[in-house]
Amino acid sequence: MSSATAAAASEPVNPRDERYLEVTGVTKRFGATVVLEALDLAVGRSEFVSLLGPSGCGKTTLLRLIAGLLKPDAGRLHVDGDDITRLAAHKRNIGVVFQNYALFPHLTVEQNVAFGLLAQRRPKGEIVAQVDHALGLVRMKAFADRRIAALSGGQQQRVAVARAIIVKPTLLLLDEPFSALDRKLRETMQIELRHLLRDLGITSIFVTHDQDEALVMSDRIAVMNEGRIEQLGTPGEIYRSPSSLHVMEFVGQSTRLAGAVESVSAGVAEIRTPLGVIRAPVGRMGARVGEAVVFGVRPESMALGDRADGDFNHVRAELADIVFFGAKTALHFKAPGVDDRIQAEVARVPAGLSPGSQVDLRWPVTETMVYPAP
Amino acid sequence: MIARLAFGFCWFILGLVLVFLFIPILIVLAVSFTESAVFSFPPQGFSLKWYWAIRNADGLMASAWLSAQVAFISTCVSLVLGTLCAIAVVRRLVPAGDAIATFMGSPLMIPGLVLGIAFLQAARHVGLRDAYTTLLIAHVVLTMPFIMRTILASLSLFEFSMLDAARTLGCSYPAALWRVLVPNILPGVMSGALFAFIASFDNYPISIFLVDVRTKTLPIQLLNQLEMSPDPTVAATSALLILATIAALMVCDRLVGLKRMATI
Amino acid sequence: MSTTTETSKAQTEPVPPWRRFDSAAIMILPGIVFMTLAFAIPVLNLVADSFRDADGLTLAGYRKVLGDPYYVGIIWNSLKLGIVTTLGTLVLGYPAAYALSRAPPRLQVLLFALIFLPLSVSIIVKTFGLTIMMRRDGILNWLLVTAGFVDRPIRLVFTEFALYFGMVNVFLPFMLLPIYSVMRQLDPRLTDAAASLGAGPVMTFLKVTLPLTLPGIVAGGSLVFSIAVAAYVTPGLLIGDRYMTMSQVMAKAYLNIRDFNLGASMAVIMLTIAVIIVFASTYFAQSAGRKGGPS
Repeated sequence: MSSATAAAASEPVNPRDERYLEVTGVTKRFGATVVLEALDLAVGRSEFVSLLGPSGCGKTTLLRLIAGLLKPDAGRLHVDGDDITRLAAHKRNIGVVFQNYALFPHLTVEQNVAFGLLAQRRPKGEIVAQVDHALGLVRMKAFADRRIAALSGGQQQRVAVARAIIVKPTLLLLDEPFSALDRKLRETMQIELRHLLRDLGITSIFVTHDQDEALVMSDRIAVMNEGRIEQLGTPGEIYRSPSSLHVMEFVGQSTRLAGAVESVSAGVAEIRTPLGVIRAPVGRMGARVGEAVVFGVRPESMALGDRADGDFNHVRAELADIVFFGAKTALHFKAPGVDDRIQAEVARVPAGLSPGSQVDLRWPVTETMVYPAP
Repeated sequence: MIARLAFGFCWFILGLVLVFLFIPILIVLAVSFTESAVFSFPPQGFSLKWYWAIRNADGLMASAWLSAQVAFISTCVSLVLGTLCAIAVVRRLVPAGDAIATFMGSPLMIPGLVLGIAFLQAARHVGLRDAYTTLLIAHVVLTMPFIMRTILASLSLFEFSMLDAARTLGCSYPAALWRVLVPNILPGVMSGALFAFIASFDNYPISIFLVDVRTKTLPIQLLNQLEMSPDPTVAATSALLILATIAALMVCDRLVGLKRMATI
Repeated sequence: MSTTTETSKAQTEPVPPWRRFDSAAIMILPGIVFMTLAFAIPVLNLVADSFRDADGLTLAGYRKVLGDPYYVGIIWNSLKLGIVTTLGTLVLGYPAAYALSRAPPRLQVLLFALIFLPLSVSIIVKTFGLTIMMRRDGILNWLLVTAGFVDRPIRLVFTEFALYFGMVNVFLPFMLLPIYSVMRQLDPRLTDAAASLGAGPVMTFLKVTLPLTLPGIVAGGSLVFSIAVAAYVTPGLLIGDRYMTMSQVMAKAYLNIRDFNLGASMAVIMLTIAVIIVFASTYFAQSAGRKGGPS
């Protein structure tokens, strides 16, 4: 494992592979509304990148711009070094799996999958072989003659994937393809699709508003908000060091507290809050004394206990709720002067703990995430 | 017990209704095969001579041809105007789409005679004397609601992201329209067009005000002959109309299924 | 379903209405302009005609139509024709629609087609069949004599009986099909539930089936009434001048006596009736829908 990584690292990296899809300065307006503003994004060859954000953040618009279904007002798009900004959608050879699949109800499964090859006027023998192969990949061979209406949601999704990948697209775009499936099926399909795309080595861009989905599937995640990419990074980076309050709140659970900076020394700020003084690494933010800030703590960073030495913050709060999730248990606390509940996660609830108990909580100073107050 | 009796009674009524509805139609068919020159029931003998007589009957063929022309042309014009409007309304390209759809469909709510008189007066006001042109214009108005309703219904069931899908798979926009939109809405549109054609072909109350001596549609001619000189030629013509209707319904059934049409 | 709406929203992202109008104007303008010129203006012009004659503005037409007992009688004749036809088709159509909606699926399709066919056949053809049927030597007289209701054939054509008989025949499918389409969606478990709660068949019908099928009755009733009030061909052939209706007066006013002001006034009254029916049935349908709850 480690030797393979080392070998890969020693090979000269082709810059065209790191910037296989390149979006530069793309702006899109609808009337007076600016949906995307001077957006940049680079995706490597065979990478799986998620565009994650709330509805209306522009992620679907970006996807449609890349597919050529919309034209940007400014900026350029390159795939593998070729400028495709002015290329019509049907000449881009970019596969799309639509949210509702957009399968053709007047055609059979087989005819749906063959559609792209027919549009390219490939020879008949090749089409038959390719369709057979693609249906095999998504395990839908047995359904080749069915009508679309006769398929379940999961089966329709497989057909949509087969239809999109059969033309060997330079890029595969997926627009919330799991949103119509129930949770169990969704989890199965996520893993199945991830394996398939990795095996085929297709560069994929995946739009979702579901953070769990993005964390599970992606090589990298681009968190979007109001037409901009707020942070681009691996799932671990996004989760552990979110670059903004919005990213922190959108990805994962967190307790949010407010306060004002009292002093800064050696990269650590002391923040006055209703719960006492909290210390936090200021990092790239560079807090000034007197500035209002907001900070967040992940529930799994919180532990019970009062060993408040230099590496830990400490607060005292009243247990309000115990929420059992099976593998873990969430504890919700309330404290005077704090509007939101403080959240902690434990594997097992200690004996004698019940709602109303006063509890000591601590968490590492390094796991305190500070942002300017909005 | 009461429930069973009531249910049986309902079935009895349904049977009665079917007989009741079919008797006039069957009678027309029976009379058209009669041998004698006066209507009579039960029919005397069997012959096809009244069907042959249609060819020579005064004006029947000419008026049938006129009705077919008017119905065909007006349906086609309605199709073009209605399709454009319906797409704009369904895609929400225009404000007040619902109001536009209601307006285009409203001639169906106005009594035929009232429409006929309105057309007659309007034609007089603008000095339009040509019966053929007036008939055509009036029948476009008459057929428009049928076309609008069916196209709106077909388009509202159409998933427009399918066009995007076709484009990303290598179809230009016109090719995507032709290969995806058209096959999906065509059955509904065709059955709507067929109904519009029938409505125009059978129309009496509008046409009666617009025809002249040389330009008479088939329903006017038929009713004239019924009032003036009834003979079994009229029955033979009617029988042919019934057969044509059956054929049209079978085509519609093949296209969209009769049940869906009933909701239109 | 919700996913579909989300997508379509995403595709039609905020565009101010005036900008969208420009590009789409070419699509709707031909239709709108044509319908305005060929439909809206002629109808409005007809309404205007009812208020004027050769000498200028006048209410003479309305004074004549609403003041003369002869014309008031004619308006009543039309309304009576509409009411009798509606009731007649309802009495036959409702039970028939119920039986049809409870028929086994394959039989149901066949029966449906059998009712749809007479609906599509030309009214003139059907009325023609009815006149033959009601002749002195026709099948109806033969049935009456055979069944012993009458001793010898009676005159049927040109009687009010013939008129109502024919009108119900011609317009029955327009009542039956709307009721059927509502009954088809009626869950049979509802009546079972009512029965399990101890309601007798009569109670179940009055409290469950009838209220739930009311929208169908309103739809069918307003349709039949509005066509029957304005019917022209069928009354003309079955009873003629013996039963004058608004339609006959309008046709005569324009085609024979050339009293345009009279005809226009009559037409506007008929138009008003039609508009009232449309609004009333929409209102009833909405209030029935509200009572029916979110189903």
